[in-house]
Amino acid sequence: MKRFGSYIRDCREKLNKESKGYSVRKVADKIGVEPAFLSKVERDIVPPPSEKKIIAIAKVLKEDPDILLAMAGKVSTDLLKIIQKRPVIFADLIRKLKKEPDHAVLKIVREVTDGDW
Amino acid sequence: MINLSHNQLEIRFPEVHKRAGVKIDFQRTLRVPDDSETHYLPPGLGRFPLRHIEDFDLKNKSHLKKRGGVIMPMFQADALWLNFTPLYEQGFDEEYPIAIKIGTGKICAISGDKWNSSLNRDPQDYITVPGQPWLDGYNADQNGTVRQFVAAPLGKGYTVEEQLTGSATVGGIQIQAFPMKVKTYRKLMKSRSFGAEVEACYSAAPRLEHKESFDMGLAPGGSIKQDIYEDEYSLEDWDLRNSHRCFVTLANATQWMDLTGEAPPLSPNTEYRYKQQGLPWFDYYDEDRDAINTAVKLGKVKSPKELGAAEKDPKWDEELVHHPNTGNSIIPQFLSKESKNKDKKKWW
Repeated sequence: MKRFGSYIRDCREKLNKESKGYSVRKVADKIGVEPAFLSKVERDIVPPPSEKKIIAIAKVLKEDPDILLAMAGKVSTDLLKIIQKRPVIFADLIRKLKKEPDHAVLKIVREVTDGDW
Repeated sequence: MINLSHNQLEIRFPEVHKRAGVKIDFQRTLRVPDDSETHYLPPGLGRFPLRHIEDFDLKNKSHLKKRGGVIMPMFQADALWLNFTPLYEQGFDEEYPIAIKIGTGKICAISGDKWNSSLNRDPQDYITVPGQPWLDGYNADQNGTVRQFVAAPLGKGYTVEEQLTGSATVGGIQIQAFPMKVKTYRKLMKSRSFGAEVEACYSAAPRLEHKESFDMGLAPGGSIKQDIYEDEYSLEDWDLRNSHRCFVTLANATQWMDLTGEAPPLSPNTEYRYKQQGLPWFDYYDEDRDAINTAVKLGKVKSPKELGAAEKDPKWDEELVHHPNTGNSIIPQFLSKESKNKDKKKWW
């Protein structure tokens, strides 16, 4: 798996080629950090930022926050709460699903959602 | 829980009973002619594709994701019927009864009432499975017939929603399923095991299936011979505390391709071509069960043809049917009705 910093740098540079609104300075501004800090994060000189900042980066770069959090070695707070409620069951479930192919995992977990209508 | 499997909604109630559930798919079909005649049940031309709506970037319509559910493509010339299959088809004796509400644009297709999340008996606003294998249209015509579910663009006044509410805000198809109370089911099993009511009134040979909106809703089309059966149980027998529901958003063919990158199923076969190939039409008749009356509220709705769709939109008929060889629009011929009412409880 690619490192967190180099991954977000690739994403940012790709977007910047398309619309020029994604320089280090502009993205840092949008997520509320210093450009120098974002630059260090992108070069993997410092560890990834907090969950909140990673979610903000995902939003600006139009990436999936869960993927960025996983690359940063973090679990989102909502997922952590779910696991903490039933740690044994979820630990067991995740270990058992470890070798299953994607379609088998999706079949188990994927439900048609219901919302407001 | 509702899962999507092979373009079919699998609705299960494992918390109620392992057999409690139903499978629902949406079959593409021919538009029967919208005239004064009553037509036999048209064939199934394969399942419409269904996808999880949250998987796609709906751009300026992303608010539709809040409804959840699935998304399905329809050409303007498409018509559909709903196919209900019990979860476990190991004999009628063991099938778990499920009550199902069906709405379009949040108008109940059975009663014509505005959508509500409960079952009602007076008038009945749901169908029951097993017993009702298919639903081809609105309970809007004379008794013993339905008005076919046909695709119509939202905003032009053709959909049932627009005709009854005056607005085009919802569209799509709504489904809600309720299982029978487990206590009632156990009693039913016990009575069946003693041979009291073993005689099956539901013979589920599959209806022929050929393998080959955002801004859309459903409107009433031509008249089809089909009964909507009365619930043979009482309202208290249904478990109203456990239900699952699903919103089916309809996308037109262009929107579908933009979203998914997949080609939608080809424009439907015509009745003309179908008849030329000598393929069968269908009838289903259960003399042991009573049918419910036509919904008074739905009696007022009119088809796109009756509302002058062809005059307002010159392309309407062209999208409707095409001659198989020339590609020109044609007026489908009527089917022969020589066999009508000849056989009861028969598939043909």
